[in-house]
Amino acid sequence: MAESYFLLAATFIPLLLAPVAYAIGRKAGAKPATWFSFVALAVSTGLMLIPAIGVYTGQQTVYVEQYAWGQFGNFGLRLDGLSLPFALIIYILCTVIALYSRPYMVHKVREDLPGHGSGGEGGGGVGHGSINPSVHGSHALPSKNIESSSQTTVLDTQQYVNNQVALYFALYLTFSMGMLGTVLATNLIEFYVFFELMLVPSFFLIAFYGYGARRRIALMFFFWTHAGAVVLLLGLLAMGFFAGGFDFDTIKANAGNIPGQWLPLIVFALVIGLGVKLAAFMLHIWLPYAHAEAPTPVSALLSPAMIGIGAYGLLRLWMELLAGTGSYEQYSLYINMWGLATMIYGGAMALMQDDIKKVLAYSSISQMGYILFGISSESILGITGGTMMYITHGLGKAILFMMAGSIILQTGTRSMAKLGGLAGKMPYTAVIAMIGALTIIGIPPTSGFMAEWILFNGVLQTAVAEMDPLRTTMFALGILATVLSSAYILWMYKRIFFGKIPEQLAHVRDSNRYITATMAVFAAMTLIIGVYPDLFLNPITDYYNDVMFQGQEGVLPVPSEAAGTDSEVAPENVEQNSGGDESAGAEED
Amino acid sequence: MTTTGFEGIAINAWSVWLLPFIGAAIIAAVARAGHRVRDYAAVGFALASAISAATLLPLGLEGAEVHSQIPWISSLGLEAGVLADPLSIIMANLVAWISFLIMVYSTGYMHGDRDLTRYWFFMLFFIGSMQLIVLSDNLLMVFFGWEGVGLASYALIGFWYYDRKKDYVGVEGHIAGGIPMWTSPTHAGMKAFLMTRAGDVMMLAGMFLIFAYAGTFGFVELAEDPAWAFAMSQQNLLVPAAVLLFGGAIGKSAQFPFNEWLLEAMTGPTAVSALIHAATMVKAGVFLVARIGPLFFALASAGAFSVEQFFEVIAWVGAITAFLLATQALVNPEIKKVLAYSTGSQIGYMMMGLGIAGLSVNFVEGFTAGFFLLISHAIFKASLFMGAGALLHGVGSRFMSDMGGLRIHMKKTYVFMLLAGLSLAAAPVITLGFWSKDAVFASVLESGYTFSTPLFIIAVVVAVMTAFYTFRMLGMAFFGKKSRHIEEMEHRGHHVHDAGPRMWVPYGILAIASIVIGVIGFVFEADLEHILGEYLAESFGIQGGEEASEEEAPVTIAPEGDRTWFGLNPTAAIASIGAFAVGGALGYIFYIGRHVSPQIISRSIVTRAIWKFLYNRWYLNSALYWGAVIGPLAIYRFIWRYFESTIVDGINPALQQSMSYMSGVVKAGQNGITQTYLFVFAAGIMIIVMLLFL
Repeated sequence: MAESYFLLAATFIPLLLAPVAYAIGRKAGAKPATWFSFVALAVSTGLMLIPAIGVYTGQQTVYVEQYAWGQFGNFGLRLDGLSLPFALIIYILCTVIALYSRPYMVHKVREDLPGHGSGGEGGGGVGHGSINPSVHGSHALPSKNIESSSQTTVLDTQQYVNNQVALYFALYLTFSMGMLGTVLATNLIEFYVFFELMLVPSFFLIAFYGYGARRRIALMFFFWTHAGAVVLLLGLLAMGFFAGGFDFDTIKANAGNIPGQWLPLIVFALVIGLGVKLAAFMLHIWLPYAHAEAPTPVSALLSPAMIGIGAYGLLRLWMELLAGTGSYEQYSLYINMWGLATMIYGGAMALMQDDIKKVLAYSSISQMGYILFGISSESILGITGGTMMYITHGLGKAILFMMAGSIILQTGTRSMAKLGGLAGKMPYTAVIAMIGALTIIGIPPTSGFMAEWILFNGVLQTAVAEMDPLRTTMFALGILATVLSSAYILWMYKRIFFGKIPEQLAHVRDSNRYITATMAVFAAMTLIIGVYPDLFLNPITDYYNDVMFQGQEGVLPVPSEAAGTDSEVAPENVEQNSGGDESAGAEED
Repeated sequence: MTTTGFEGIAINAWSVWLLPFIGAAIIAAVARAGHRVRDYAAVGFALASAISAATLLPLGLEGAEVHSQIPWISSLGLEAGVLADPLSIIMANLVAWISFLIMVYSTGYMHGDRDLTRYWFFMLFFIGSMQLIVLSDNLLMVFFGWEGVGLASYALIGFWYYDRKKDYVGVEGHIAGGIPMWTSPTHAGMKAFLMTRAGDVMMLAGMFLIFAYAGTFGFVELAEDPAWAFAMSQQNLLVPAAVLLFGGAIGKSAQFPFNEWLLEAMTGPTAVSALIHAATMVKAGVFLVARIGPLFFALASAGAFSVEQFFEVIAWVGAITAFLLATQALVNPEIKKVLAYSTGSQIGYMMMGLGIAGLSVNFVEGFTAGFFLLISHAIFKASLFMGAGALLHGVGSRFMSDMGGLRIHMKKTYVFMLLAGLSLAAAPVITLGFWSKDAVFASVLESGYTFSTPLFIIAVVVAVMTAFYTFRMLGMAFFGKKSRHIEEMEHRGHHVHDAGPRMWVPYGILAIASIVIGVIGFVFEADLEHILGEYLAESFGIQGGEEASEEEAPVTIAPEGDRTWFGLNPTAAIASIGAFAVGGALGYIFYIGRHVSPQIISRSIVTRAIWKFLYNRWYLNSALYWGAVIGPLAIYRFIWRYFESTIVDGINPALQQSMSYMSGVVKAGQNGITQTYLFVFAAGIMIIVMLLFL
């Protein structure tokens, strides 16, 4: 049993309060529901921060809360250098985007009202229909701005909006809980349960509040990711069966018991199952639809927070739990190639889009390729970079999706052919979106650069150490793909914010504070992490160096001046070096 | 002097680059206090940074060094730091003071623009980033500044983001090789960003290679222990890493083959062009080479391995660019573009000097020549650009054919541009341009490099062209009759007049400086060589040639040059004077005296073809667009249409259809008719029986 219950509380407070949020929304309206959800999530984040600070300062490398869970073993929640960045970013994103949701969802629900506009299955018709001149930021204050002829309609409308928004927040809170639970889980079954728990609310969020053929797309999203999850489950069950228990610790200890002929199958199941979530190349079919047609706040959570959990899964289940069995070194090269293909393919397809949210969706695919590329680099630097990439992509892509939402709110369209010259009309959105864009491109002083240089540095380190022309070529292609990222992001930015303003948009105003202020929070964070990356790097590298890859062969340590002399003279020998030497080198700094 | 943290004089070094950033950060808040306050604050921060730089100058002239570090990314063992050595102190002062003058000029040039807050933000950001490049003690921080100048140039080139026709560059309707050659500001900004980004990733790759072996990015640490370089040269990786680093310099300094962005960069406000071309951005590349060149040279001589190919690449890239861009400057009709071509070409000279340094017995001489040219070019090119901005303001057109006869109406601009122009054309003895260019010539001649003769010939030919296009530009703008455009303007009641003092004073100062320093040019050069020689000896242990011990007479340290006349190499001096005479005379005949009309080139088909080839920029821009934009996009579109949209998107419907087909098959067997069930049952039995027996 655990002595403290911080993580338990942080995980389940949102779930327990979800019905309350629903009730508040129905009775009191959107604003109280928003602030209630915000406070619930903020308190949970705060509760999580307490153990997180302990981990950060190095008092405890690993903080675990465990509860007996019948025949599955233990139900645990674990915060360490690997789960900390994921957990923190997930909850920060959820907390801040809760506020952002309010004006957006009120507007969206209103737009979907029966009898209003195209409504129904066709959704708001954003991106397909023409520019809606009546759309303004004033919808942010629904109770004051209703121009209906009859009093009863006003009340009905109001109640409808309240109901819908209340349900939204209930689902939203559940979704948050599912994501956090997944990254904190310490048990394979628990991991799977949370993994599916985050899928269900996101399915409803898309089906109820999406655009276009939303029910169809939500189903597609559900089927694909669920199929992936089932494949994953097979792998997890096999792991548990051979290791004699579902607890991570048991598996880590008994990973050697997995028969050699089963190992490839298990790795295959893990990689495919998580690859669907990550939307790796050829498994990405669902992503452009789901991200583009989900309501924008949900897109801003799906894309940065949720899909990256696939990467977390690979790190935890494959690289950490199956570490001793040699599966990582065996397959990392193929994952590396897959990552590269994803990276380039996503970037190339992003260039072909006219819909802002589709550009961002393909961009997410590409960025997931970066993460895959990093974590399969066989170098602590590369793996650290991959983890940093999750953080930075989370912040950057959230900003950009929120920008897309801001533009949809103000102009009623997300087709870039109909946009242009908005920099002067929406200055705050434009400035913050530029910071987000720079984060995705990887330009200092945003966190994007910190992630990218560490990541690519690691990839090159492996290539050099192994003197492998294939890895070197892949490094070159990968780093050139960052130019592709710059191209699609800047081109998108140019088409939205630069050039002549179309006549219909002459009276567009900037979004209200709910939108710009929440975006600004993330922009500030990416700048802070970009200048002072130790905030996240410290726990990550500590954990990777000292716990996860300690003494593991085939994973290169961080090069440092003091440590490197042996490997410098003959870097091709690094692989043969005993693990002890390497970790000793890493500890010296 | 190595310190940790912010102590003593190190604070000044930190503040040189921190102050502009602080200014940029608060400028939006300051703007609330009123426009005038904001403008003063912006210029004030630039001045403060310049003063900080000036306080370092005595140290730099003494040859002292300030190295201060603070912890930064502790998890990877990286530190942030400033390294103020003579090279960076001189450079920092150059950048700071020229930037300050350009900021003053901006208050006049940009007066009344509605987005001035954004302008000041990016100008200060630009200056800060450049100073970061100059003063950083490690490659990673240099890269921060590197991308910072890239970002600032992107934002400032596309400053007028609303893409009005009058902000375009290029002649509308000019199409070369199927590519339109006129460009909107935002397009130009993007082009600049992406092209320099391509160079930047090369630089990153080079940095990572070095980091993988050395475990550090610090310049001092890299120089201290040559073991990493030795290990790399064993693997034949040292020269590739160095060349990759140089790739970043190629991108930022707009050298061949990344030269095409520089021309479109003229869409920005002219003050920005002056900043990009004189003090920041393009000089960053040259400075980087000046930073890493001696490092690699010293490492190579210490470890007894060769990095000659690296310097060869630098020298030849410089020579090719110098020639390529000079030829294009001969025919361009836009004043700012002529100056832009000229910048690229002059930077080619600088690269040639820095490259030849590593190929010659006397490293110091070529190094000094390249750096001297950097200094002199910064001064006269800033002046010329600001003067050109005044012309643009006065005439309201970027085309030189819309000017003409302006020496009467814009007297001050005329005088100052003439002075600075003489320096660009390298008028003998009295101009800064002459001394610096002569130094490059001499260093090429005296290098002892196998292919020094072709390099020298290219250098001289480029000098002829430089003199010609300078006179062409001055002639077209200031001499001859008024153009129709000006007559129309006067007809409408607009009289062309000189710019206000906030504009002419800055370029006046620089123009006069280029002559004053030019008059004492040989002393200046000798001093510079002395300072840099000591710096190289102290920091890297590079001695100035064979007679390096003769420290009291640093002018004559060249190995065999019998420098008699002001320490000049006679061949170089004669070639330099001859080039000025030939190019200048041609320019005078065609454009100033106007004895012969330039139209004669259209009489012969050969000259017309050459003109067209040059006017279309050697078709390099077209090749770039076809190869790097249109081609890849076509491939992506193909993949999009025939793979992503059909095959990948087809998976879902295909699954759906196959499922309904399967359900149809299954349903067909369950139609409730007993005969069917019996039939299926019998068929099953038969199959099983057959399987059992066969």
